[in-house]
Amino acid sequence: MLLRTILIGAASAMLISAAQAQAPTVKIGLIQPLTGSVADDGTADVNGEKLAVEERNTRGGVLGRQIELAIEDGQCKPAISVNAAEKLIQRDKVVALSGAFCSSATLAVMPVAENNKLPLITGVSSNPQLTEKGNHWFFRADENDALLAKAFAKILTQQMHLKKVAYVAVNDDFGRGAVDQFEKAMTELGATTAMKEYFEHGTTDFYTLLAKLKASGADGVFMATETQDGSIFVKQKAEFGLDLKVFGVGSWATDDFITLAGSASEGIYAAVPYAYTMTTPENKAFVETYKARYKGSPGEYSVAGYNVINILVDAIARAGSTEGEKIREALTKTDFVGPNGRFEFDGKGQAYGFSVVLVQITKGIPMVAASATIEP
Amino acid sequence: MRLQRNLILAAFALGVVLPLLLRDEYLMHIGVLIMFSIMLATSFNLIVGYVGEFPLGQTAFFGIGAYTAALLSLKFGAPAYVTIPAGGILGGVFGLLIGSITLRLRGPFFVIVTLCFAEVLQLIANNWIALTNGPMGLSGVPKPQWIESQDVLGQKTSFYYIGLLMAAVTLHLAYRFVNSNVGRAAIAMRENRLVAQSVGIWPFYFGLLTFIIAAILCGFAGAFYAHYISFVGPEVFDFSVMASMIIMVLVGGKGTLIGPVFGAILVVLLEEYLRDFKELRLSIFGLVVVAIVIFLPRGLMGFVRRQKLYKPK
Amino acid sequence: MDLLLQLLANGLVNGTFYALSALGLTLVFGLMRVVNFAHGEMYVIGGLLGWALTGVVGLDFFTSLAVVVFGMGVAGWLIDRVLVSRVRDQDEEVGLLLMIGLSIFLANSALLVFGTTPRRVLSPFPTKPFFLGPVVVTQSRLFVVALCAALIVAAHLLIQKTALGQAMRATFQDAMAARLAGIRTEGIYGFTFGLGTALAGAAGTLLGSIYVAEPTNGGLISLKAFVVVILGGLGSFAGAITGGLILGVTEALWGGFVSTNSVDAIGFALVIVMLLVRPYGLFSKRGERP
Repeated sequence: MLLRTILIGAASAMLISAAQAQAPTVKIGLIQPLTGSVADDGTADVNGEKLAVEERNTRGGVLGRQIELAIEDGQCKPAISVNAAEKLIQRDKVVALSGAFCSSATLAVMPVAENNKLPLITGVSSNPQLTEKGNHWFFRADENDALLAKAFAKILTQQMHLKKVAYVAVNDDFGRGAVDQFEKAMTELGATTAMKEYFEHGTTDFYTLLAKLKASGADGVFMATETQDGSIFVKQKAEFGLDLKVFGVGSWATDDFITLAGSASEGIYAAVPYAYTMTTPENKAFVETYKARYKGSPGEYSVAGYNVINILVDAIARAGSTEGEKIREALTKTDFVGPNGRFEFDGKGQAYGFSVVLVQITKGIPMVAASATIEP
Repeated sequence: MRLQRNLILAAFALGVVLPLLLRDEYLMHIGVLIMFSIMLATSFNLIVGYVGEFPLGQTAFFGIGAYTAALLSLKFGAPAYVTIPAGGILGGVFGLLIGSITLRLRGPFFVIVTLCFAEVLQLIANNWIALTNGPMGLSGVPKPQWIESQDVLGQKTSFYYIGLLMAAVTLHLAYRFVNSNVGRAAIAMRENRLVAQSVGIWPFYFGLLTFIIAAILCGFAGAFYAHYISFVGPEVFDFSVMASMIIMVLVGGKGTLIGPVFGAILVVLLEEYLRDFKELRLSIFGLVVVAIVIFLPRGLMGFVRRQKLYKPK
Repeated sequence: MDLLLQLLANGLVNGTFYALSALGLTLVFGLMRVVNFAHGEMYVIGGLLGWALTGVVGLDFFTSLAVVVFGMGVAGWLIDRVLVSRVRDQDEEVGLLLMIGLSIFLANSALLVFGTTPRRVLSPFPTKPFFLGPVVVTQSRLFVVALCAALIVAAHLLIQKTALGQAMRATFQDAMAARLAGIRTEGIYGFTFGLGTALAGAAGTLLGSIYVAEPTNGGLISLKAFVVVILGGLGSFAGAITGGLILGVTEALWGGFVSTNSVDAIGFALVIVMLLVRPYGLFSKRGERP
């Protein structure tokens, strides 16, 4: 009799501890470019997300469970990102998706999220089209190019006394979209377009473009590029002896870019959703934690990843469940304060309330020259 | 031939039954990928295996089919049973255009010039914003209504069966072609061009016909792809699709009907399995290709054949 | 007028680079009929090695260049002996597939080892602008152009004036006859492949000091090199040089006067036209192939 009780007790104890040890994690799926020409930026984004997950897990995770990231390489390519989404949803059984960095890839993944009734958040994709598609499962936790252009075009035209503007951008959805928006905004303010040219990702020789730029008589050039291409361009511009004011959108205020471009980055104005020199208390704490973990200052992509995870985890906690529809519902009620301001979502899934800044790179540091809040 | 035909029929039967046993969305997704890879590999095999040339620009027709289907359904609201044949037909038209120019060349020249055509098409897709929306691509290509209304598993299974049907049709067309006069002529050309010419076969004409048929099949695959992924961008002309096609045909064994089928299944499974290795994935893939070329140059079917030949009576 | 001159200058500079980069390919393609898809990757590895040697190890530029040339040459020779020799007697497409697999492996391994950040090979010359009349170049560009020319001349002398070069030319003309004359064609093939790889690697290092060296460039480099080779004719030095210059200048003019983002298409369009009009290139000495 005693033996039986002991055995049953032992068995139950083992079962209980086994159940606890195997408490399933809450899985969030990431689709980011880990290879290809924006891999540096994609990796920065993932670093931000990992940091957020670590912080949250030390505070107990969510719904009493630990959070786990399932990461797939979307390569910024639509078809591959869709494939990655399928795998994350079917095999890894994630409860939400974060991605896919490039607007065209995100656009391709949006219907997959809708079909599978899973929320999709992006912290990076900036093409205005995305929030116009009527997809209720999609949320954008960053600015879009139209809003950015509206916020800063006036300051730029005045500050830099721009009359003839040249537009140079990478030939993809981001580059073309940004140029469209900024050209519209600046032309409304009286600037004329001296030249508009695009180049392919991975171009190594910009001399022809620079020759045209010189011949166009522009007094300023607007650029929309990422770290790798942008740094090569400004270096060659210095080689070329072309002394034009540069301003743009993209990854200009990140450590990576400034290191790569070196002295050629001096004086560039950048309209960015984040710079580590922003002075909010949340940002100070974030920059410290990031530097301790990754040895380098965070840029806009890292903070994007950080914000997305926090917003998602908040929503899961608020929903009290991992069911897609409940998380989606909870997301609409988001009110999160991140390093670059407060995030709430409007009816189309576009975030508002956070700050964007215009920085000027002075002696290798992105100094905040002006700041604006994104209005709903 | 008999062995091959039986194998294909067995595989087809298995393919029909499989979804009923494996009710898993991810596996259905893999199944769809396999089906349309079979179509691509078979079309590539027609030219490589039976004409003996290496069209490195075959993705051109795949891309054409995809864009045709996307544009027709987005701008004109055409349903799938119109867009898929249209994709095939337009693929064939381009096949005629490109083939008539490129088939005058042989060997490495043919290889490079077909590649050039594919690259030019990609550049056009990337830059002709008004038509193709450039890098933003064409999104939201609609699925057929009867599929749209199902749940996710049902949708994937439906696409799988459509894919199975199309793959079967593709293989059947290939089979009829190979056993027809045109096919025999093509094989004669491949074996010895001069002798073929001396018996009255016009290499150019037969080569072109084969090329057009392959282009049509690729176009079908492209249109199917457009409706499944529902997004078409310039990356459909990417070389990576081409590399997969090449590897499928050469691994499975060119010049056989079932070779591409094996090759397609193997390569799709390999690519998905290697996903788990993340960054190492493509390096391993490259090594696998090199290994296969060195050790199994005739592909799997060639290996099987050789075994049969040397079996003692 | 200024714009035109600048564009011409750009085109000539780029053209010289294209010529050097295509030289290795034309030898391998012309002599061995191997469609070396991994050519771009060899260029890339040359560039990355150059960065590692000058930037990390700290060697000076010329020593690094020598190390790259020698190292890549040996690597190329090994690749030929171990891999390419096994598929030499089979159909051309087997060789093609081998090189495709090799290129995928090399490109991605380079990515793993070196990461995605573009690197610069440290040049001994400054990159400040240097004016020749209204035209801007930099001293380092001129330096690299000079070195390219020197390498091209050196390779030419090797082929025309040495016994080894003579053996190569004999094998190129007729492999069977060369074997009958006592030339060890297997060794010649190995040497040729090694030379091709070395030239590609050298081009990578040289150009890595002006542009950047990054692992993802390989495919486009290969394609451009093929364009030059087809324009100029297989196996022809003069062809590689002329083809390179034509491509460089045409691209610059098109980019300058029409649009910069369709520049890559020019090369392909030229190839298509060339293959229709003069399939064996401008300078090919070989006749019709049966």
